[in-house]
Amino acid sequence: MAQYRRLGGILAIALATTTGLTACGFGGSTGEATGDGTTLDLLVPSYSDATQGLWDDVIAGFEEENPDIDVNLQVESWDNLESVIATKIQGGEAPDIYNGGPFAGFAEDELLYPVDEVISEETYADFQPTFLENAQVGGTTYGLPFIASARALFVNDALLEEAGAEVPATWDELLESAKKVSELGGGVAGYGMPLGSEEAQAEAAVWLWGGGGSFGDAEQITIDTPENLEGAEFIKTMIDEGATQADAGATDRSPLFDIFVQGKVGMQVGLPPSVGQIESDNPELEYSIHPIPTKDGEPFTLGVADHLMAFQNDGDKQEAITAFFDYFYSADVYVPWVQAEGFLPTTLSGSEQLADEEALAPFLDVLPDAQFYPTTNPDWNAADSAFKALFGQLDGNKSAKDVLAEIQTQVDEG
Amino acid sequence: MKDLLKALPWIGPAVALIAAVVLFPVGLMFWNSTRDISQSGLDDGGVGLANFATVVGFQYFWPILGRTVIWVVVVVGCTLLGSLALAALLNKAFPGRRLVRMAVIVPWAASVVMTTLVVHYGLEPYFGIINSFLVDVGLIDTPEGYGWTRHPGTAFAWAMAVAVFVSLPFTTYTILAGLQTVPGETVEAARIDGASGVRTYFSVVLPQLRGAVSVAVLINIINVFNSLPILRVMTGSIPGYDADTVMTMIFKYMQNQRQIDLASALSVIAFLVVIGIVAIYVRVVRPLEEV
Amino acid sequence: MAAITESGTAPREATRPTSGDRKRVRKYTSDQVPLGSLLLRMLAGLVVLVVFLLPYLIMFFGSVKTKAEIRSVDPSYFPREWHWDNYVTMWATPETPLLQNLVSTLVISLCATLLVLAVALPASYYTARFRFPGRLVFLFLVIVTQMVQPAVLTSGLFRQFIAWGILDTWAAMILVNAAFNLSFAVWIMHSFFAGIPKEVDEAAQLDGAGTFAVLTKINLPLVWPGIVTAVVFTFVASWNEFAASLVLLTTAGNQPLSVALTKFVGQYETSWHYVFGVSIVAIVPVVILFMAIEKRLVGGLVAGSVK
Repeated sequence: MAQYRRLGGILAIALATTTGLTACGFGGSTGEATGDGTTLDLLVPSYSDATQGLWDDVIAGFEEENPDIDVNLQVESWDNLESVIATKIQGGEAPDIYNGGPFAGFAEDELLYPVDEVISEETYADFQPTFLENAQVGGTTYGLPFIASARALFVNDALLEEAGAEVPATWDELLESAKKVSELGGGVAGYGMPLGSEEAQAEAAVWLWGGGGSFGDAEQITIDTPENLEGAEFIKTMIDEGATQADAGATDRSPLFDIFVQGKVGMQVGLPPSVGQIESDNPELEYSIHPIPTKDGEPFTLGVADHLMAFQNDGDKQEAITAFFDYFYSADVYVPWVQAEGFLPTTLSGSEQLADEEALAPFLDVLPDAQFYPTTNPDWNAADSAFKALFGQLDGNKSAKDVLAEIQTQVDEG
Repeated sequence: MKDLLKALPWIGPAVALIAAVVLFPVGLMFWNSTRDISQSGLDDGGVGLANFATVVGFQYFWPILGRTVIWVVVVVGCTLLGSLALAALLNKAFPGRRLVRMAVIVPWAASVVMTTLVVHYGLEPYFGIINSFLVDVGLIDTPEGYGWTRHPGTAFAWAMAVAVFVSLPFTTYTILAGLQTVPGETVEAARIDGASGVRTYFSVVLPQLRGAVSVAVLINIINVFNSLPILRVMTGSIPGYDADTVMTMIFKYMQNQRQIDLASALSVIAFLVVIGIVAIYVRVVRPLEEV
Repeated sequence: MAAITESGTAPREATRPTSGDRKRVRKYTSDQVPLGSLLLRMLAGLVVLVVFLLPYLIMFFGSVKTKAEIRSVDPSYFPREWHWDNYVTMWATPETPLLQNLVSTLVISLCATLLVLAVALPASYYTARFRFPGRLVFLFLVIVTQMVQPAVLTSGLFRQFIAWGILDTWAAMILVNAAFNLSFAVWIMHSFFAGIPKEVDEAAQLDGAGTFAVLTKINLPLVWPGIVTAVVFTFVASWNEFAASLVLLTTAGNQPLSVALTKFVGQYETSWHYVFGVSIVAIVPVVILFMAIEKRLVGGLVAGSVK
């Protein structure tokens, strides 16, 4: 009988808990606004393990200067960011300020404030013009260029020397040097070619644009073109001749660069934060940074800018948002932020301040000539995902022509 | 009708909970599948069944559906066989049994995502410990290992292995719990009648397990069908659609292409498919039958 | 197959009075099982042990390596240096308030499990014991909730909880976890209730017991293993739930461990040692839960049905 009593007791507890559930459930604290001021919701991605701390500092400084404004920070990983923002928008609860990539879709749906309504003229005038152009949809600027990156070729000098190879400037030289390095054996790859889904669109741009192609403009996305085909064909040549690591089609960028950092890859395209990564993980690596090799040796770089944008929501927080942006883009706040994350600034004053920074010099030099993804085309998102899903098939039996055609089809249908 | 009213206090709370939480989101999924939804998630009007046409018309749709069936059948089948064997072993007395029982629990306690990430990490060329082990014992001759997760075939096979691995604990324990309800006398009687151990198992023990096993299999079918993280991690970097199932395709529509409308349409199709499978299963196996 | 031939032992073992588990095993084995098959069982047990723990050993060793060693191109089976301090530093990382995440996960999972138990137990008992119009419809309806891909439902849940004003609260996730795990709990317990001979009930009713008394006094003790299975199932599923928590809980401190883990994944680099460490921390409470109720689950109370 003793066990029955115990059972009854447990059941009683179970039932009691259902009634007490409300108490249990509402225990979670929500970041409610305090006082009668405005609350700004800020949704940002995590660039590195420092991101949360950097924003915390910015917000603390801002709230001190603006005691009547509260800022709620939400940091999510890049992987989760887009599903979080999409859900919020559908639920009519968009954040007030959002840090993200492409925003043409939001602008098209008239969800965003035009930038000039939420920032002072002085701040606006300080942005580099190339970046502002890239932040316009239909002639109106909707995104504030936030941080930028440019790409360059990272070269393992020790491996190239051992293989007797030269730093390449053209595709043919690259092929030759990479093959020499690959022949060293022992798991060493000549050229690190990441066509896996993580950032296939970037490697695609490096090659297709380097051969004189482009992804189109704000009006039209053009992938399946003769100019683009040249770069795609050459990627196949690189793979077929053994100049790259194994399974290029399904290799993601980040793990591959980890291998470069540890001296097993001869050459790979990297970005400004890569410098910091080498410094922290393997400072002994003998490497140098060079312009990306192109078909005819003409230098070019792929530029990527992330943006800050302001959602309209009820349209009653314009002043607070303006105050926040003006505070954030003041050089004392903005430059240390960018510097800590190892990216490039998008403002004129910021570039000036960082001009002496030796590690960033190779990138700052090429930045003014950077070419960008056609992010202001609302179809860019479809193109981006088509590249991620399909471009890696170049490593396989499909012809380069077919792969480009398939990407184009998916973009046109999307 | 009177009977139904009498049942209400017992089943009412369950119905209420489901109605309150689940009804709206499921309804919204059906609604969204017939709408045109912009990338940022705004509703641009109805399109009838056009989303379904697009999804079914996609050139890889049928291979993906076929692969989904293979995925479910193989994973659930292997899980069931493995669990029966495991439960039989864990039901025997031997020194250290408690420890083994605890070990079998661990994949259940761990999140599926983490288990998959660890296996994926172990299989990576250059970094992976599994690869490096295979190189050390001489089974692979490239020093950086083999790209298991970079070829559709091997990646899919490993994903199935992981899926079986994480499904085993629950199924094993359900069967193990079922074994406890097999009366000892019945087994004893069969043995006295001279039945061999194997025959006793199949003729006496297994029929007694029917209730537990059939429900465990049903739950596994649904769970395995709906499983997203394993395939997403194991086959995530592979280009093309040669390792996708319906679930990863829904994910690709939703996350990569941001087409909530198409994702909803495919979800509705998946929903109908799994209802079909379950209906057939319930018909054939009759898990609701009283023993 | 050798392992299976020895059936019959376990149910009898279960009918013995619950005393110290270990003692019983020792006596038992020395009594009846031939040494050969005992060794065979131990060998099989060892293989199972290794296979099931291997991924988590990799995880554990990773959690005490340095960030660099985990991503080393010359992988090490065991840590070159044991960085136990990873387990200290991870509680104070800037990315996420881990202790709060742990508390959130615990509260959400516990409350969801209790709610499921309170709702599913009567439903599963009644549907297994009594025939009434709509019984099959109910059971099928319940399981249908489980057949939709949760990731697709998140936006609907989000809107719903805004309307109710409980977005970003534990209550929201307790309801979600309870509602979506209800079906399995009902079905599992249903199958166990259905396994008890009706005569047991009828006998009790003849003695004048009401339906509720029959449930609590007669049936519950018999279906313990089923209840425990359902509880564990619900608890574990809630513990590891990710898709809904990600969008419904926006304050870092409210989020469960499953979401907190992703905070260690940066755009270009990931703190793997923390990811592994947090995963180990997340496993431990669940394993402890198992250890606490394992005897209930397998020790069995079948005795009741025979007496």
